[in-house]
Amino acid sequence: MIDLHLSLRRTASTSGATRADDRDGSSEDSAAAVRLEAVGHEYGTDSGRLRSGPDSSVTALEDVSLEIRPGEVVGLKGPSGSGKSTILHSVAGLLVPTEGRVDVLGTDVTELSARERTRLRRQHVGIVFQRFHLLPSLSSRANVALPLVQAGVPRSRRRRRAESLLEEVGLGDRTTHLPGELSGGECQRVAIARALATDPDVIVADEPTGELDTTTGAEVLDLLTDAGRDGDRAVLVASHDDATLEVADRVIPLRDGRVVTDER
Amino acid sequence: MTRAPLALVLLPLVRTRAILGIAVAQLRRSPGRTVLAVLSVALAVLAVTLLASLGAGVVATGEEGLDNANRDIWISSDPVDPDASGTENPIVGAHGTAAELTQRDDVTSASPLALQDVYVGTDPDPAELQRHPAIGVQETHDGFDFRAGGGFETPESAYETDQPRSDDPVTNEIVLDPRVADELDAEVGDTVYVGTSRQTAPEYEFTVVGVSDYYSQYLGSETVTMPLVDLQAVAGTTGTDRATFLTADVADDADREAVAADLDESYPEYDVRTSDEQVEAMIGERPLVVASGATLVGLAVVGGVVLTVNLFALVAAQQREELAALRAVGLSRRLLAGTVAAQGLVIGLLGGFVGIAATPLLASGLNRFAASIASFDGLVRTSTDVYVLGIAIALVVGTVVALVAGWRAGRYATIDHLEG
Repeated sequence: MIDLHLSLRRTASTSGATRADDRDGSSEDSAAAVRLEAVGHEYGTDSGRLRSGPDSSVTALEDVSLEIRPGEVVGLKGPSGSGKSTILHSVAGLLVPTEGRVDVLGTDVTELSARERTRLRRQHVGIVFQRFHLLPSLSSRANVALPLVQAGVPRSRRRRRAESLLEEVGLGDRTTHLPGELSGGECQRVAIARALATDPDVIVADEPTGELDTTTGAEVLDLLTDAGRDGDRAVLVASHDDATLEVADRVIPLRDGRVVTDER
Repeated sequence: MTRAPLALVLLPLVRTRAILGIAVAQLRRSPGRTVLAVLSVALAVLAVTLLASLGAGVVATGEEGLDNANRDIWISSDPVDPDASGTENPIVGAHGTAAELTQRDDVTSASPLALQDVYVGTDPDPAELQRHPAIGVQETHDGFDFRAGGGFETPESAYETDQPRSDDPVTNEIVLDPRVADELDAEVGDTVYVGTSRQTAPEYEFTVVGVSDYYSQYLGSETVTMPLVDLQAVAGTTGTDRATFLTADVADDADREAVAADLDESYPEYDVRTSDEQVEAMIGERPLVVASGATLVGLAVVGGVVLTVNLFALVAAQQREELAALRAVGLSRRLLAGTVAAQGLVIGLLGGFVGIAATPLLASGLNRFAASIASFDGLVRTSTDVYVLGIAIALVVGTVVALVAGWRAGRYATIDHLEG
């Protein structure tokens, strides 16, 4: 079950051993929260599932290997089409790469069924989108609590958890506001709170400041990095903006689906 | 471990409550779309309830037409078509046969009935005459509910079969449908001219003795009622004594079906039916009407379902981006389908309620309309069965279709719907 007493900062006992039950990985993988080995992906192939059409495959990733440890903030840098989002989606189990292996907490995501990937994502991966993707009909509190619905967490506990997280991201006075009543920065903070609702081990953020002004973007990045470093979570941030990536412990530049250098 | 069984019980409850909450929030967010969806379902429900009520009413009206005649057995000779009342009446020697029937121990009374189109008018000028169906019976009765005047009774002497009958009308009395009376500007006591052609009508003068739409309800058109012997006289069928039906009442202790079977054997040239069989036969003789009715009901159901399918496919498609976001944060396809199905359930419930509530109002309006143009009272008849059918369409179809639409939308609500 999900520990609802956690916030941006997690206790050591919840980030490691208690989650081992959900994994089939061995202890040798415990150092890396996320590991990609020789990952390649072509859109338009059968296993890609996202495109259908006659022989029009596009190579999105080619022989990408990287790893991220808990508490580490890693940036993915590159222009549009460089493969940043494909890596994030592979880590989140939103797509299965056509080649290679993607380990999340020691579990090879490429070997899991769609249902198992959804479960892994729900329990261990938090996602932050560029355009927030909050449900406009629900209050910020209900939006944050959404991932807990699937886990069957009772309403009162969902509310408490959501209010606590909103407090953490500085929106304690906005719990009943609809997304339409919030600014862009506030919406992204709600999205970060939602990503943290199930106390994930990994956070992926795709252009999290893309819709925000510089000051607001900096505040959002602070929240993300705090959630990673203080919470001992692996954070993967994709952006084409150098200023955004300055907060990362290291940056992996991508071009045409390949890693240019690993600055680690 | 001890909490596991409790969690298994609570889990579906927690999810169901959340699903309903999300569904209601989604519906409240787009009140315009929700109202349109509710109205669409209400429309589908109305189409089904009104057409089903119409079908039930048509059959009931036919049955009551015969029930009003209060006759146990109907004897005819194919084909019998009340609408085609201008055609010949196929039974000959009607009064003689009726007399024969009455002499039987198991029959208490028997009488002939004829249908024939006639020309009628207050002015003998052939150009002023109006064509209307006429029904010839021995006498009128209390059921006629006269709006003015009264009825007629044919003297027994007119039915004497042991001597040649007069070719002239006996009573010269006629009962007009109210609209015929209005059309002709005729009142009780006025003289009208009646004949089976424009040329012969001026020869026969009748006195209007009453105004009633009793047989109009049965035939579905504005009908005049006159003594059978007089109708035969103006039609020139006195000699052959033609009629459309012979009707008979069986004795109290006799079995209606047994008597009908016996008569069928005795009169092989005729079709002998009980009143129930007669209703079936008359409906069966109108395959086009039955097929039209069935087609309308079928189209109403199919149309209602298609409308609902389209509606919820649209609802699910409009929420595809939101569903994709929910899937990305880890909600299962089943839960997503549940949120759309719950919207279908709520819309179906509201639409069904509106449709059911509007059914009696519209049925009443349609009945007034039908009565004004075709003399049918209570043609659209609502019943509990009809309401159950309507609400079942709204709830079952609404929910199932929304569930399928949600399931399909959940399948296609992939991450690429969150891009760009």
